[in-house]
Formats: sequence, C-alpha cells, structure tokens
Amino acid sequence: MPVKWVLHWQPNAGTTVNSQILTEVSQCAESINGIKGGRWKATLNFYRPMLKEQVNPVEFPRDFLGISLQEQPSKYYFVIRGQRIVLEADSNIQSIMEKLQSYKSRVALNFEGFQYQIGDFQLRVGKVVPVHSESLRGIVMEMDYLPISSWEKSHQIMAEFYDIWQEALQKRSLPGHFARMEPNFGEYGLGDQYTLPHTAVQYASIMLQMIATAQSVRN
Amino acid sequence: MECVVQGIIETQHVEALEILLQGLCGVHRKSLKIHELCLKSGPNLGTSPSEVRLLCDLEQSEPAWRVRHVGGAMRGAGAEQISVNVRTMVESKVSNNVLRLFYALGYKLDHEQLRVGFSFNFQRGAQMTVTVSSVNKMLRLHATDEAVPITPGIQLVEVTAPATSENYSKVAAAMSSFCEYLAPLLHLSKPGVSTGVVPTAAAAAASLMSDGGGTTL
Repeated sequence: MPVKWVLHWQPNAGTTVNSQILTEVSQCAESINGIKGGRWKATLNFYRPMLKEQVNPVEFPRDFLGISLQEQPSKYYFVIRGQRIVLEADSNIQSIMEKLQSYKSRVALNFEGFQYQIGDFQLRVGKVVPVHSESLRGIVMEMDYLPISSWEKSHQIMAEFYDIWQEALQKRSLPGHFARMEPNFGEYGLGDQYTLPHTAVQYASIMLQMIATAQSVRN
Repeated sequence: MECVVQGIIETQHVEALEILLQGLCGVHRKSLKIHELCLKSGPNLGTSPSEVRLLCDLEQSEPAWRVRHVGGAMRGAGAEQISVNVRTMVESKVSNNVLRLFYALGYKLDHEQLRVGFSFNFQRGAQMTVTVSSVNKMLRLHATDEAVPITPGIQLVEVTAPATSENYSKVAAAMSSFCEYLAPLLHLSKPGVSTGVVPTAAAAAASLMSDGGGTTL
C-alpha cells in the first residue's frame, strides 16, 4: 500500500487553530492543482482504565488509543505509545473491550474532511472534532505517494513534495505550519513496507503532540 | 451469541467417534492444535474481575491469533428448558503481539493449555462445529512442545453453533437433535454439568469400527 505521512497543524506560539485556517489550507490544496475528491474520515478513541479504587495509575498505560481508518473499516488498531505496541484487530474487538469493563473510551475524536488528487500524490485535509461536537480541536493532513510502498525509498520524493506544500502555504501567511513526526517504526516491530499499522502509529504520535501543544497553550 | 454443549470420551473410542462424525457430517475433519492462554484482570483493574482468552492456531503455517470473550450463560425459565447453554461470545482476529498488549493493559496469565485434536464444521439445521481434543498443560511457560495431557485417556468433545437472540431456540433444537446421534458414544450437556462417559460407548465403538459407520446405531 502507498506510503503516507500524517501531519498536524502546529499553531504559532500564542495562536490557536480556527476554521478559517482549515478553509485556507483546503484552498491551498486546490491552488496547487489538487482535484477535489470524496470525503474521508478516521476515528480515534482515548481509553482510560476503570479502577476499583484509588491506585497508583502508573501501573496502567495513560496513552492507550484505539483507531479506525477509512482504508480498512473492518479493522481496528490499538496503540500504546509508551510501550511501542500497535495491534491490528477485527473491528469487533471494540465490543470485547466493552464487555471486559476494564478500559473505557473517555474521548472520541473524528478526523474528517476532503481528499485531493495531485498527480501521484493524494492529500487529505481534515478537521479534528470530538464525536458529539463541532468544536475544532485541530487540523490534520495525510499525504500519500501512491506509486511507492517503501518508507525509505519514498522519503526523498515525500520530503520534496512536503517542501512544495509548505512553500505554497507560506504565501498565505497563516499563523502556524504542518509539522511532521517521524515515529521509529522499527520500535513497534514495523518494517519498511508501509501498512495500516504504520498509519495508526502516526496518528497516535500526532495526537499526543497535539495534546501537548494544547496543554502548553493552556498553561 | 453461541449455543454450546460439552462431553467427554475415552481416547480409545475417539477413532469410532471420528468415523461416526465423518458419516454424519459428510465433510472431512480438520486438524486442530490450539494454544490457549487465559488472562485475568489484575486486582485493581476494572469494575469487576474480567477474563479473556487468547487463542493461537498452531495448525496454520503462520500462527494465527484470536481474542475470545465468553459471557455468562443465559438464565431464566426459558434457558432452563433447553438442553444447551446459550451465551455471548465475541471473537476477534488479532496480530501476533496480542499477549504483549494485554500484559501492558494490566492482565495476568491465569493458565494456559494446548488443545490437540480435530474438528468438523458442517451445516445441519444450523452451522455447527464439533471439536474433539485432548487438553494438555505446559510444564514450562509457553512450552507447547512439552505439553502433557491433563486427563490422560480422556478427550473433550464440544459442539458449538453461532446463534442470535432471534434464532437461538431453533439452533438449540438442531444441536440437541444432532447430539442424539452421538448418544451411544458420549453424552453432551451444558458446560459445567458433568455427566461422565456413557456405558454403551465400548459396544457402540466396536460396532462402528467393524463396519465403518454404515450401521445406524
């Protein structure tokens, strides 16, 4: 499957994300001859342990995420970033988690927007919103290079396209930029051939980065 | 949901049971070798203790993992009247690092076992699976190569069928009527209701072995 970079909007210090930025980013995708395609959506759940009594919470992972991706709706991905675990499961694993009553989904976020085709590249630009609300929490972008599935081999062309994109976006003088994280996939037991667990790991990485950014703004 | 019944048979009669099942089901048996790990939640995790089973199919060229959650059996007057257990069961295929994930979540290994035997999967009023297996324990952690039988000379027989809240009574009826055919060799009942081996097993097995299952018992 094609390699994908998952990027998140990093607001400049002192600024926050707003829907005007999302509009401008979408316009930017069209301005570099992006052909607007269908909608896309991913969903992410934060799980928290259900504890009987006040116990030392460090015993339990604080960064346990569940992710569903549009590319494979019959699958579900669990990521525990602290321990570098990514698990691929049938989507009904969610019903097993419910029955176990040991972890509960506390927050669910949707990533949704439109996709754009630019030659061999595909861009997806979307908002990050809580499942039962419309309040904008962030902006996310997926960047795919369709012909290549090797992370290493695609690195140069992805980096070049990323630069072109950043340049196009800079002309709009927006208060921030799309930041990229490069998780160490090897630590998760993932190889060079790109797979959906790679995408899940990237989502987990940007999510924790977005939380850290939001917290630093609040403090 | 699923309907389930269980029973036991002496290993010496397993071959006869296989001949009978082959005749009844009209399909070939599948070999079965499953490493089963039962995990329980740690002391402080969860509103109540929970249990989950990780199954690793060792018959595949690459070990294939599943997570299984079995809920409590249906209760009440209706459930009392049927001769099979009706219970919730959810099973999910997972990648091979599932044990690491559950350890990270705070689950502990309670026990593990290796089931070796065969199964038949067929349609007979409902989609049913019969598994016949010896249940083995490991002398060292995860050492499936060194497993020894927990009950030497005795094998476990289990009949399961997927069901829904709409059709479970029909599935239960199909299962009960199928179990009648096996009655001379073994008695199948709700899990936990031990009925032992049946006295007619030796004679029934001898008859099956002599004519390859051609005779109606």
